[in-house]
Amino acid sequence: MAGSFSRGRRYVLLLLLLCGFGSVLFRLVTLQVLQAAELSVRADRQHQKTVSLEGARGTIVDRHGKILAMNVEVPSVFGVPNTLESPLKTARQLSPILHVRTDELERKLRQDRSFVWLARKLDPEQGRRLDLLSLDGIGVVMEGRRFYPKGPLLAHVLGFSGMDGEGLEGLEHRYESYLRGEKRMMVLQRDALGRTVFPKGMTERSPTPGHSLTLTIDEVIQYIAERELEDAVGRAQAKSGTMIVLDPKTGAVLAMAVSPRFDPNAVSTLSPDRWRNRALTDAYEPGSTMKAMMAAAAIEERVVRPNTMVFGEHGHMTVANTVIHDHERLGWVSFAQVIQKSSNIGAAKIGMALGEQRLHRYLQAFGFGQRTEIDLPGEGAGLVRNQKYWGRRSVASISMGQEIGVTPLQMVAAIAAIANGGVLMKPYVVSEIRDAEGHMLRQVPPQAKRRVISPETARSVTKILEGVVTDGTGTKAAIPGFRVAGKTGTAQKIDPRTGTYSASRFVASFAGYVPADNPQLAMIVVIDEPQGDVWGGAVAAPVFSRVGEQVLSYLGVPSSQPVTLAMASRRS
Amino acid sequence: MKTVTVFVGLCLVFVFVWERVDVVRVGYHIERLKRDKTVLERQRDELRVKVSALSASDRIAKLATEKLGMSPPQQGQIIVVQSRPSDVHPSSDVAPVELKVAKNYLPSGRF
Repeated sequence: MAGSFSRGRRYVLLLLLLCGFGSVLFRLVTLQVLQAAELSVRADRQHQKTVSLEGARGTIVDRHGKILAMNVEVPSVFGVPNTLESPLKTARQLSPILHVRTDELERKLRQDRSFVWLARKLDPEQGRRLDLLSLDGIGVVMEGRRFYPKGPLLAHVLGFSGMDGEGLEGLEHRYESYLRGEKRMMVLQRDALGRTVFPKGMTERSPTPGHSLTLTIDEVIQYIAERELEDAVGRAQAKSGTMIVLDPKTGAVLAMAVSPRFDPNAVSTLSPDRWRNRALTDAYEPGSTMKAMMAAAAIEERVVRPNTMVFGEHGHMTVANTVIHDHERLGWVSFAQVIQKSSNIGAAKIGMALGEQRLHRYLQAFGFGQRTEIDLPGEGAGLVRNQKYWGRRSVASISMGQEIGVTPLQMVAAIAAIANGGVLMKPYVVSEIRDAEGHMLRQVPPQAKRRVISPETARSVTKILEGVVTDGTGTKAAIPGFRVAGKTGTAQKIDPRTGTYSASRFVASFAGYVPADNPQLAMIVVIDEPQGDVWGGAVAAPVFSRVGEQVLSYLGVPSSQPVTLAMASRRS
Repeated sequence: MKTVTVFVGLCLVFVFVWERVDVVRVGYHIERLKRDKTVLERQRDELRVKVSALSASDRIAKLATEKLGMSPPQQGQIIVVQSRPSDVHPSSDVAPVELKVAKNYLPSGRF
């Protein structure tokens, strides 16, 4: 009896053991064979973390290596609403740090979502304060934020980048493919506490940062140009202003100033009109500054010489049933005086002697009606009408700077061609592209587009343009100790309501170069709609003088004319 | 012999385990150093931006005029002159020396 009971118990025990082992075996087969693939994926998901890393956006520096735009990692704050116990309490704690209203934060935190941005790209100090709070359901990630440490300086050229780091305007947009850092997915191993143990990508390199740009721009020259232009626009109560400083021998842009300025660190509230780079997008009728190119063409084609006498018609001349006026009633004057006194009648006569075809050819040769191909986005081509659409008055009008649209950049490139002895250079703003380690990837050499006039013609025109500053309409462009060559321009604007020239809206300009005997700077100043004294010689020429004197001093260009201290004292 | 084999076997197991543990420990250490590096790089970038902002020309000019009472030189007050090399080094081929002279700092009565 005892033996059979004992045997029965043994069978039960054996059965239980078999069941136990059987269930373990079943579970093992289920986990290791049947669900192996699915569980393996789940394990990887728990142990591995895939992160998207992006290399920092490249830096932009001026020609002396001063930082103009740079990326810094800053905190962005997100919330996980469905894990929060009291959204209101959390919102109250965050509000003073994020500078966002409590009700707005609460609204976001009450959403039925697992992720919501609360504030992006904050200041580093705000991030440090958030770390101290250490709130549940609130997380911080680091994102690259673009900083423009010089504020509004050079903003129209630099442009700006968007919230996700993509270049939207200016150089940021034009050189996006170089500036943007490499994007890369990396897999990291995590332990039970979520710490990174040993990154799988340990042997992989980190995402490469974007390339850096070295500009031809000089921060100091840019500052001088912007300050003087802002002053002039303010004094003249003008609508806007533009100034470009170019190295005439290379086409390198040393400064490009636009007024009014804007701060690229805070563009969200501004209209696109504010950040448009008028220096290369806006075409205007140049007025008398065009006479410099017309003079160059006429002398090159031997239509006139500087001492050829021209009759000024005493200030009135009829061309194609319209009367051309001069502000001075001139009789017989030399061609040099025609330019120096900015005679419309003299310019029209010489233009007509030059003829339609040759005038059109020289306009194209000087680069009008076509983009300069500067390495900035949004450049306009200006407007030079097809020759077959020219009217009977067109040659006379174009010779004195009407019926033609030019951008300030085209005009300064053309005047630089006269300055450097007759070669049209391609303007450029980026001189070097380097990788993150500083290795040179691309060096931009100066590029000559074409020879427009001979060196002899350029010298003749320079002498005439010097006369504009010593005895003509541009005396306020003079710089003590230096020979200055240039031309004033005062152009009436078209009234959009009537379609005719306005009697009250003008564009005042001065384009020239200095020192005339060995040009280091070619500059243009354009003031749009000045009030009061609207003449280019009164509004724009003084800006040329003030900027020119400071920049020449900064560059250490020695005086080309004897300067006595007595003269200096008199002026001080 | 058997004892020695067991001992050697245990040693090998110990070395293997120690190596795996050390790899994990070094991994944590590297990760911490990388975090420190990232923080330091971030601080360096912040400081570079700060230096750039503080050295902006308009800020310097504002401080010079408002705090130090300086004023920009007027027209004709700065004269850059170029000396002829023969004046300084009559027989050498030294490049011309450019001198920057501010009128206000010239000794009186010397010119």
